Amino acid sequence: MEGLEQLKTQAGRLKKLAGQWSSQALEYVHQVPSEQIYAAVAILLFTSFLLLLVRLFKRPKANTILLTGLSGSGKTVLFYQLRDGSSHHGTLTSMEPNEGTFVLHSEKSKNGKENPVHLIDVPGHSRLRAKLDDVLPQAAGIVFVVDALEFLPNCRAASEYLYDILTKVSVVRKKIPVLILCNKTDKVTAHSKEFIRKQLEKEIDKLRASRSVISTADIANDITLGVPGEPFSFSQCQNKVKVAEASGVTGEISEVEQFIRDHVKS
Amino acid sequence: MLEQLLIFTRGGLILWTCKELGNALKGSPIDTLIRSCLLEERSGAASFDYNAPGAAYTLKWTFHNELGLVFVAVYQKILHLLYVDELLAMVKHEFSGIYDPKRTVYSDFGETFRQLKKEAEARAEELKKSKQVGKPVNNSKKQGQVQKAGLGGDKKKNEGGLASDGGDGDTMKGRRLENGNSNGNHVDIKESNVFGTANGKENTSSNLGAFDVNKLQKLRSKGGKKAEKTVTVDSNGSKAEPKKKITKKNRVWDDSPPESKLDFTDPVDENGDNNTEVVAADHGESMMDKEEDFSSESEAEEEEEGEVGKESKPDKQKKGWFSSMFQSIAGKANLERSDLEPALKALKDRLMTKNVAEEIAEKLCESVATSLEGKKLASFTRISSTVQAAMEEALVRILTPRRSIDILRDVHAAREQRKPYVVVFVGVNGVGKSTNLAKVAYWLQQHNVSVMMAACDTFRSGAVEQLRTHARRLQIPIFEKGYEKDPAVVAKEAIQEATNNGSDVVLVDTAGRMQDNEPLMRALSKLVNLNNPDLVLFVGEALVGNDAVDQLSKFNQKLADLSTSSNPRLIDGILLTKFDTIDDKVGAALSMVYISGAPVMFVGCGQSYTDLKKLNVKSIVKTLLK
Ligand SMILES: Nc1nc2c(ncn2[C@@H]2O[C@H](COP(=O)(O)OP(=O)(O)OP(=O)(O)O)[C@@H](O)[C@H]2O)c(=O)[nH]1
Ligand SMILES: [Mg+2]
Repeated sequence: MEGLEQLKTQAGRLKKLAGQWSSQALEYVHQVPSEQIYAAVAILLFTSFLLLLVRLFKRPKANTILLTGLSGSGKTVLFYQLRDGSSHHGTLTSMEPNEGTFVLHSEKSKNGKENPVHLIDVPGHSRLRAKLDDVLPQAAGIVFVVDALEFLPNCRAASEYLYDILTKVSVVRKKIPVLILCNKTDKVTAHSKEFIRKQLEKEIDKLRASRSVISTADIANDITLGVPGEPFSFSQCQNKVKVAEASGVTGEISEVEQFIRDHVKS
Repeated sequence: MLEQLLIFTRGGLILWTCKELGNALKGSPIDTLIRSCLLEERSGAASFDYNAPGAAYTLKWTFHNELGLVFVAVYQKILHLLYVDELLAMVKHEFSGIYDPKRTVYSDFGETFRQLKKEAEARAEELKKSKQVGKPVNNSKKQGQVQKAGLGGDKKKNEGGLASDGGDGDTMKGRRLENGNSNGNHVDIKESNVFGTANGKENTSSNLGAFDVNKLQKLRSKGGKKAEKTVTVDSNGSKAEPKKKITKKNRVWDDSPPESKLDFTDPVDENGDNNTEVVAADHGESMMDKEEDFSSESEAEEEEEGEVGKESKPDKQKKGWFSSMFQSIAGKANLERSDLEPALKALKDRLMTKNVAEEIAEKLCESVATSLEGKKLASFTRISSTVQAAMEEALVRILTPRRSIDILRDVHAAREQRKPYVVVFVGVNGVGKSTNLAKVAYWLQQHNVSVMMAACDTFRSGAVEQLRTHARRLQIPIFEKGYEKDPAVVAKEAIQEATNNGSDVVLVDTAGRMQDNEPLMRALSKLVNLNNPDLVLFVGEALVGNDAVDQLSKFNQKLADLSTSSNPRLIDGILLTKFDTIDDKVGAALSMVYISGAPVMFVGCGQSYTDLKKLNVKSIVKTLLK
């Protein structure tokens, strides 16, 4: 109770003080010639406008690399290989993205000041695909991980996912480079990257025919891949699409690291 | 015996597994759990059964949402391990203490775990003994900290009530109210008598939703194993508790008279309406009500509150909305169930006004609650907006198809194999099967696919003529054999005919049938199994409300039960009709997708042949939450 009373009196005092100040300020303003005031206001406006402009045009540094691909292709293993140089106790289906900004493990030993990379491992489960759209705008490069071991059963699903990525407006417009990474090459039964590239191209070619249309409701993707009338090949894409090999579990990931280095500005 | 216990991040990195329990798990139960339960917004359920060749496990889990951790225990299905929930809660409690996001190796946790396991086992042992004596036994001190977990795991419904009686903190509170006016008949422990442990039947009915859903889920994922009667039901078991404590609880409860009279927290199917009325009338009470309503349903979630939190709860409730408002201003450490309840309730009601089936709205809210509990509320955000955001994510996840729904691509693939692509349209009467079949035919035709219709509705008079009219208008060949024949055979002949004349697609019209009509369902099952179509498309009205669940689950159930094959075909896709007539009541789309796991492949939205659309997930989600 006492405290409240005290507070009240304090507030009253403050009010008075504020009133005094404001009247003083008004007096002062009246004394100053009006041109000066106008000038001051103009300068104020101008600077805030400038600040706004800088804010608008200063994009966040593009150092984000996305790891995408079907569930089970080995993205999370890669993520931890890149970060820690180990896949620890193994992985399970991801329910949320793994995200981190760090200096690649392989570059930590170097004394040179390597720039950190922002890496996002986007879960591959189809229910979680919507996450991709959230992070795509930041991407400086996309790694599309393909399971080279179990490739054939997943070929269609992988192609569809890749097709979706390649036809995303932001990917096409910003020409975001894509690395198709054939993972799990440590196993002898893994398919070669050439084989995988050909199969993917073939499959995407077919998708071009079927995907282009279904009646309106969804905002139709007006981007068509490749050159109409010619069989599709990745070289027709506006953005760079490369194919590479890796093995997440054994840590043979030099090609991914190269890709990341190439596209993350140091 | 416990087979395995894992701790992993939501990102999918395994942080710790028990080395001693080193038995390699057969199959991949955890991945299956994640994919077909946790990612399907069913994490509110109590347990998950995994069946694979040579393996039958039950899995239980708990989340630490603030840290983004998942704890999963795996044990043999035939064993009813009574201590699993408790063990999980203890492990969660201990592990969250040492967890550091930067750290990935926790080999030192093994020692702690061994200790915890020993304790839990000992207690389970004690419980068993105490049951024989018919009296609870005093427990060790440590137990108090983690007394939360209602011990579930008992699947035999009928003995569930008996098998693991006893009272315990929250679980009991929830239970008690749930069974407010069901006479808890089987109680072993005297002290907890007041709280009436649910009898098997009551409990089952309150969990009917979970049960249906899980069952279907199982049917789908295994594609076999018919008539699985083991159901993942929350068992009402809980564990023995020190005598002293129970009496204390008891008293506290008696102190709050409103509760003892609340009988509207019964199984919702009985008096859901009643429930909402009361809520609308009195805000002070509603919160409690809501809280009980939810917490009673899910024992799988244990909060890390410890004794203090529990004991302060009744007081908190008495203080009513004032304290809750104060809390929201002052900011709260971690979200608790009770904080979420009001927002969840509002959200559930909103979903229901959009025509989402009640039990599904409830399951969703539970799942969202499970994913938020224990999380820190970001500053300057309201609980309701946090809940809404979580719900939005969940809805997007559900409605996003699990597999590609590019029919044209499938048709092309079939064409390459010189086989016709067969679509069977199924559904109840009068939903617009034939009309929408014609629309699909038209759409396919537009994309240079040669279509053939098969009139297999040999049941309702006039059906063949109706289809013939469409066929004539669209200039599509139709295969018909009048009304006499067995529809399965007609379909077979139609497919043969299509193979011969090189049609790309066969669209099979079937008789509408109520989901309870056994003979007709049998006929349908025969048709589907005999012809093994590429797509079983369920045609359903967008107008349907609570019945959506019944229709789809029964169709799937019957298709599975009546099938002679070991790998029965279920519904693969949904066509929603009359979408233009429902305004913003788009809930049926959600209900159907949730219950069946099948995507909405087409949406019929008008009278002309062109009125066929794809489902726009984003706009549906927006409408649902509007
Ligand atoms: N042989 C072999 N197996 C690998 C390799 N990389 C990953 N795996 C295995 O593939 C499985 C899936 O790996 P994850 O990294 O969890 O897959 P993911 O792409 O993150 O999957 P989601 O999180 O579901 O999207 C794990 O069991 C890994 O052990 C590899 O280079 N070689
Ligand atoms: Mg992953």
